[in-house]
Amino acid sequence: MATIRSHARVHRTAEDVWKIVGDPTRIVEWFPGVTEATVDGNNRTLMLKAGLPVHEEIVTLDHRMRRFQYRITGPLPIKYHLGTMDVIEDGEPGCLLMYSTEISPDPMAFVLDGVISEGIGNLARMLNDHTEEQR
Amino acid sequence: MGRKILFITTDQMRYDAIGANGGNVARTPNIDSFAADGISYDRAQPQNVVCMPSRSTMVTGQNVGTHGVWMNGVPLPVDSPSVAAVLRDSGYRTALIGKSHFEPLLDPFLRFEENQQGFIGATEGHRGFDHMELATHGAAGFTHYSRWIRQNHPEAIGMFFQVLDGDLEVSDVPGGDSGAPQIKHNAVPRDWYHTDWVADRTISWLDGLNSEDDWFCWMSFPDPHHPWDPPESEVHRVNWRELDLPAGYPQNQAEREAIIDAKPRHWRLWYDGKLVSNYEAPAKWVPATLTADQILEVNAMAHIENELIDEAIGRVLAAIEAKGWSDDLDIVFTTDHGEFQGDFGFLFKGPYHVDSLMRIPLIWRPAPSAGGGIDAAARVSKPVGLLDLAPTFCTIAGLQPPEWMEGRPLPIDDADATARGFERVTTEWDSRQPDGTEIHLRTIMRDNFVCTTYQPGTVHDGTEGELYDLVLDPLQQINLWDDPERRSLRDELLIDLAANFVEPIEFRHAEAPV
Repeated sequence: MATIRSHARVHRTAEDVWKIVGDPTRIVEWFPGVTEATVDGNNRTLMLKAGLPVHEEIVTLDHRMRRFQYRITGPLPIKYHLGTMDVIEDGEPGCLLMYSTEISPDPMAFVLDGVISEGIGNLARMLNDHTEEQR
Repeated sequence: MGRKILFITTDQMRYDAIGANGGNVARTPNIDSFAADGISYDRAQPQNVVCMPSRSTMVTGQNVGTHGVWMNGVPLPVDSPSVAAVLRDSGYRTALIGKSHFEPLLDPFLRFEENQQGFIGATEGHRGFDHMELATHGAAGFTHYSRWIRQNHPEAIGMFFQVLDGDLEVSDVPGGDSGAPQIKHNAVPRDWYHTDWVADRTISWLDGLNSEDDWFCWMSFPDPHHPWDPPESEVHRVNWRELDLPAGYPQNQAEREAIIDAKPRHWRLWYDGKLVSNYEAPAKWVPATLTADQILEVNAMAHIENELIDEAIGRVLAAIEAKGWSDDLDIVFTTDHGEFQGDFGFLFKGPYHVDSLMRIPLIWRPAPSAGGGIDAAARVSKPVGLLDLAPTFCTIAGLQPPEWMEGRPLPIDDADATARGFERVTTEWDSRQPDGTEIHLRTIMRDNFVCTTYQPGTVHDGTEGELYDLVLDPLQQINLWDDPERRSLRDELLIDLAANFVEPIEFRHAEAPV
């Protein structure tokens, strides 16, 4: 099991950031390679630019805590996955955007780490050009 | 009209694979023929022994620490300098056909330009290549070759060895007659196999040029890199049961293990299956289980693949001859790194800086029309590196190598090498695995010694090293690192290494395992 984490400080209110992060269909606006996102109950299906679908289960969509959790259920060769996005008011101006992933098998961590970091970067730029991005 | 440049690379080919370097199994008459009219480099080394860092050095002419591709999976930035751009900007037509691997191959989100182009079949290229048609070791992925297979011969997709297993690890599935990992008898017809496809696409690109064009074509064969799955129709070429075991394979187990035990600890850890130091070898495969028959069969497969490459080269050279370009043609032939192929009881590659992986074939056949005092069949014994290729291409084109290139134009003989100070070559290794395993090697080769120091990581504490006398111990079986009589030599080499090694400025994130 590998764990990876990306975060960025965003100079916008947590409420503003959650409008995007808390809407599972808006992932197409910031996550690389995703051309379409449809939600049906607790299931989300992404369509990738390569023509591949990615099936996901929405585990948590907590508007109060501003937490979104999902699992990739197929067809990528993943044995275990839990992705967690938290938008955190931390007392500083703006808010903290945290994206954590637990994943098995380990080699997928390389792939997701890169694409998530790029996605977090895209999202931060969308929200504020003056955001510091960090892995 | 200037000189045309055909840059031929293979992937993971040993120095001794070809007849011109003493190989006596694979028949390589086309390579041997231009070697006989050119310059063979007997101590050419890559700056890193895996694909992406090494290929990035070829295209930039820079050390790994400068271009920053420090392990597989770290993409070469798209705005990195490129010798192809230099040549294109001076009027050359430029192409790369075959395996590029400047960017990760495992890319389900299609983030990287080369995969994007392969996926849609675009050929406009980038990095200064105005034409790219890419391939890798099979039908999987987003290369132009995999697209071609999918569109034209979909029944062949499953014929190739499946490189990754269900855990996305490099597969150790056994095959062939001996049960060696990554061998498969591949039912794909020869003319659908990537070696012939690379030659076909090269000939097609050349056919589209005007006779007065100057051109630079990097023809990059994915073989003989594992998996060893050449077309089954060709397996008859080499009977593995008739081969001799490699000289680098001590057949006595106790002797073999004693040699390994005298090397830094990761050698034995990998041998016993207790360490996965990198993604380039099957994670679940235990080298200690490797049998003599498996070594022979892997070698036979590699020889077969090398024969196919040689014949493909022959077809391309015939096409060039038919276009009337042969007299103005420079040929440069090399590979990105070597392969154990049974040496010390190992296959594949990793953080092991011995000749199996570091000594590579390199041949330069200058254009006959160029003259210039180049002796036929010259051999250069002085050390050179792959970072010397890009400046050589500039020189061939009549251009001054840009300052960002860190290599120098290849010497034409030992006297030239001595006069221009070709005294040493350095090679590095850095790797970080998802489980945190880190290994870091820094190596210098000079004066017929190879000296490697290990920086602190998760396996080494920074005191380990290797020192080999290539004259007395050409198989590098006697580690002199702790020999008191060699202490001053070792210190001298380490000082020279420190003075000439370019350390990475930063370790950019790997974006994929490969």
